[in-house]
Amino acid sequence: MTRLALERVSFWYPATDGPTLRDVSLEVAAGEVVALVGSGGAGASTLLLVAGDLAPRVVGGKLEGRVHFEGRGKGKERRGIVLPTPWTQVSGMAFTVWDEVAFGPANLGWPRDEIARHVDRALERLGSAELRARDPATLSGGELQRVIIAGILAMDPALLLLDEPAAELDPAGARDVWRLVRALANEGRAVLVATSDLDALPELADRVVWLERGRVMDAGPPSLLASEALCAAQLGTRVAGVWRAAGLSTPYPATVADAVRRWKEVMGR
Amino acid sequence: MTRRHPFTLLTIAGALPALAWTLPAPVGGAVTAATALTLAASRGLHRGLWPAVLTAAPFWLFLFILHDVPTTVAIGLRITTMVASFVWVAAALEPARLVEAMVAAGWSASVAYVFAATLSAVPLLKARARRIVDAQRCRGLAASGGVTARLRALRALALPLILSALHEVDERSLALETRGLVPGVRRTPLAPPHDSAAERVLRWGLVALCVAALTWRVA
Amino acid sequence: MSIRLLVLIPVAAAISLALSAVVDAVALPLFLDTTGTILATALAGPAVGIATGIVTSAVNTLRNPTFWPFVVVQIIVALYAWAAARAGLFRSLRTAIPAGLGLGVIASVTSTPISYFVFGCTTTGGIALTTALGKALGLPPLGACFFGSFVSDFGDKAVTFALVTSVLHALPRRAAARFPWALRAIGAA
Repeated sequence: MTRLALERVSFWYPATDGPTLRDVSLEVAAGEVVALVGSGGAGASTLLLVAGDLAPRVVGGKLEGRVHFEGRGKGKERRGIVLPTPWTQVSGMAFTVWDEVAFGPANLGWPRDEIARHVDRALERLGSAELRARDPATLSGGELQRVIIAGILAMDPALLLLDEPAAELDPAGARDVWRLVRALANEGRAVLVATSDLDALPELADRVVWLERGRVMDAGPPSLLASEALCAAQLGTRVAGVWRAAGLSTPYPATVADAVRRWKEVMGR
Repeated sequence: MTRRHPFTLLTIAGALPALAWTLPAPVGGAVTAATALTLAASRGLHRGLWPAVLTAAPFWLFLFILHDVPTTVAIGLRITTMVASFVWVAAALEPARLVEAMVAAGWSASVAYVFAATLSAVPLLKARARRIVDAQRCRGLAASGGVTARLRALRALALPLILSALHEVDERSLALETRGLVPGVRRTPLAPPHDSAAERVLRWGLVALCVAALTWRVA
Repeated sequence: MSIRLLVLIPVAAAISLALSAVVDAVALPLFLDTTGTILATALAGPAVGIATGIVTSAVNTLRNPTFWPFVVVQIIVALYAWAAARAGLFRSLRTAIPAGLGLGVIASVTSTPISYFVFGCTTTGGIALTTALGKALGLPPLGACFFGSFVSDFGDKAVTFALVTSVLHALPRRAAARFPWALRAIGAA
């Protein structure tokens, strides 16, 4: 069973005085999507690096506390992270999109037919099958972002770590990616995602974790995004923000559907 | 010829200049230069022969200015061999096939990575350099004035380019690590180029020929 | 070798090769094609620097086939930069520019025999013309060839050293600390 658990984790980057993460505890299990929200510099990206065993192992620095991960299958390579800027994640070693997506699986030393199966399936799930013969250097930001996500997906990770995966996508593309992320969790993967696309979260996330300056301020169901505290920090959904700005009563609705229900209650009274 | 194994192409491109420098001038150089130019011409007039001739021509001119005729012919034929065989191999060799050949031959994926990544990074970084130049021109940078002013302009252009490239090292290394490119990894070759016994014989034959030529000339 | 240092090699090599676009824009007679080699050495030591030099030459050869023999110069440059970093010569421009001038001498001493024996001193138009000038001034062939290489290398290497020093000092401390040699090269650790 896949499970990631952080217990009282603090993290310092090299040559910095203060910690970027302070005393963070968090759990993600198979089938779950957990969303990290917070303003810039809250530590969400760093938290993903810690969860992906990249900090401090690759970036250096110092970690206190415990990070525990168990995944099904072959072990540690089964944690996949998608970073925010797609063009820095291109391997530079592939001259077609298909080879780019196959880059990770090939590094795992899988047999060729298994690689081909995973690559074709990943490209198809990202709606990028028609790009397969293109040179990655010629893709648009949105196309490239989907190819990068496909490249991680093709490695069949048990835990998916996503840092702003919809940043380069248009609204329709973002909706597709969020739908895919939900489907991946429903298949039994664990997903930890940092995003500023707050309106997508009520449909997507099982839990929301609010980070501020490296600390967990609050955690709970997506309805947290309609709480007074998150709305005051500009981290509520748009519907909750409008409701609050209009001076309507608490609890604020998080989604349009919630708002309609609340509105009917108010009208019926 | 492009369907030949990448190592065969590289061996030919390396052996021709080596022979040009070891075999006695001018006959040796004439033979190798003719071979190299024929190969370059096989890639077509515009991709092969013209670039080779245009690159070699200034050398002939300067050699003629600096040296007597026999020296000009001797060195000129050698330089022509080198230029033509490299132009040919650059046009005939697909980087993707070379990377696959290196991986299939059991080279560490890191070595293949370093070459392939440089090849794909140069055009991107050059494009960024041109964007920085354009942006600074809009803000009044002029490529005129004294040497000090130009050096100051150079610094203003080069510094952001280099710093932004270094800044990306972090994310690139994280991305590669998560995608399994750890130093020393044994990668699955995706499309290993076909190699044949005949090509292997040709490669070793060329190496033996170069060694023999060198021994003959030194002894 | 860690993955970070592996990634630094193609990035540094690409910097050396992309700077030609900048040099064209300011119209100065410079190459700056050893910038990446020197920078990689100062950040990460001689092995990374030498690898950067070799890759730079290999990729440069695809553009101009006559560059390959000068891979030797790139390796010498990496070793010299390593000595300069250990001696703390990247600490300020006052120490870096003389160190670059010193490299100019060493680089032209290394490239002269290559240029002379392989190309008959016709490596680039500029070098050929200055060699012709040296010859007209009555210098012997090898001396004229050295004169040609020296004129083109001397200023180039001084500017390169100054540029690398500027980069090392402009690099944020947190970023520099992630390369094994960066802070020691500028005398900050």
